[in-house]
Amino acid sequence: MNNQDRQDSVQKIRKRIEIHVGIAIAALVVAMGVGAAGFVYWGAYNVSALQQHTEPVFTILNLALDRSIRQRAEEIEPPSLTPDMAEQGRLIYQRKCVQCHGAPGVGRDDVGKGMTPVPPNLAHTAKTKDAAEIFWPIKHGIKMTGMPSWQFKFTDDQIWDIVAFITQMPEMSPADYRTMGGGEEREPTRDVTTASAPAPARAAAVPDPERGKLALYGYACIACHRIPGTVGPHADVGPPLEGIGGRRYIAGVLPNTFDNMVQWLRHPTEVDPLTAMPDLDVTQQDAMDMASYLETLE
Amino acid sequence: MTARTALLLLLLLFLATGCSSGEAEPPPGDPEKGREAIREYGCGSCHVIPGIPGADGQTGPSLERIAKRVYLAGVLPNTPDDMARWIREPEAVDPRTAMPNMGVSESDARDITAYLYTLK
Repeated sequence: MNNQDRQDSVQKIRKRIEIHVGIAIAALVVAMGVGAAGFVYWGAYNVSALQQHTEPVFTILNLALDRSIRQRAEEIEPPSLTPDMAEQGRLIYQRKCVQCHGAPGVGRDDVGKGMTPVPPNLAHTAKTKDAAEIFWPIKHGIKMTGMPSWQFKFTDDQIWDIVAFITQMPEMSPADYRTMGGGEEREPTRDVTTASAPAPARAAAVPDPERGKLALYGYACIACHRIPGTVGPHADVGPPLEGIGGRRYIAGVLPNTFDNMVQWLRHPTEVDPLTAMPDLDVTQQDAMDMASYLETLE
Repeated sequence: MTARTALLLLLLLFLATGCSSGEAEPPPGDPEKGREAIREYGCGSCHVIPGIPGADGQTGPSLERIAKRVYLAGVLPNTPDDMARWIREPEAVDPRTAMPNMGVSESDARDITAYLYTLK
């Protein structure tokens, strides 16, 4: 076999390998396409609001959200925000925003609790975002989050009033907010003195930590606390609950026993009238389930 | 290809670091003196405090990222003034608190606040 022949056969083998690799890649692409279509068609994806994203997916979605808003907010020139504007904004906030976002010491209504993504605590938002980044989502809304666009309801000036109020929130104690006239008695959404409304038969049930973990989403606890084992905004509104099972005091005021935790989760403002942790109409059973989950966080 | 990878990494780095708008001015006070004061007053016997050796107390909450916390003790807006006030007179802020009055001086409270505000 001479040199020419050898080169020819090497060339032939190389070509054959290239063809095989090409076919394999094409097959892989087709298989992925079919797999993706099947994933959608057979409903493999669980859309439940209590079925949180995985941490990496949540992180990427959140990053995309932040970047999208920041990119668009850069073109907005905020006016100077005055206390008068903040006062006007407070009036709108109390009518349209508090239902989902709550306010200092005021819990959100039921509609704002079991949502994914959880509507953020805006005192926390105001600490990390600038005015334009708060303005943009109010005006334009955010797809797939439950945040509506308000531009056909409020003028830009009114939206800046709301922004002015929100930027004041990190410096507002629950007592300050009450003094302004916020947090007037809202109708309790159900009788919290009775057992769990959806399943009264469970009243005497053994506390279930797994159900308690779901309840931490269902009552939007994750909007304000970092809680190991949950995925969420990792907000530092209240203290992180890592190690809460081994902590001696709850909220710095109550010795940390199971019964005290249940009491605190159900009626925080009775335990400490000054607390920013709002009463969220937590039922006895739900509080027991949550407490049993929190107990596991050593 | 490597240039593109490098560009992508740079972009990721930019994304990761470009997320800290709204930085407030550091509070008055000396963080280094604050670190010393935290040791002297024994804050670490009740709180986990990053950067303070032996501060692993489980009585009160962990002070990790306390600079980012919205509320102090669950009741006060987290501003440098309010933090210094809370450290000096916790019972005046919240009569029900288990946090004791440690007789912290005004300037020590400023320094401790300055240190705690480095915990982001």
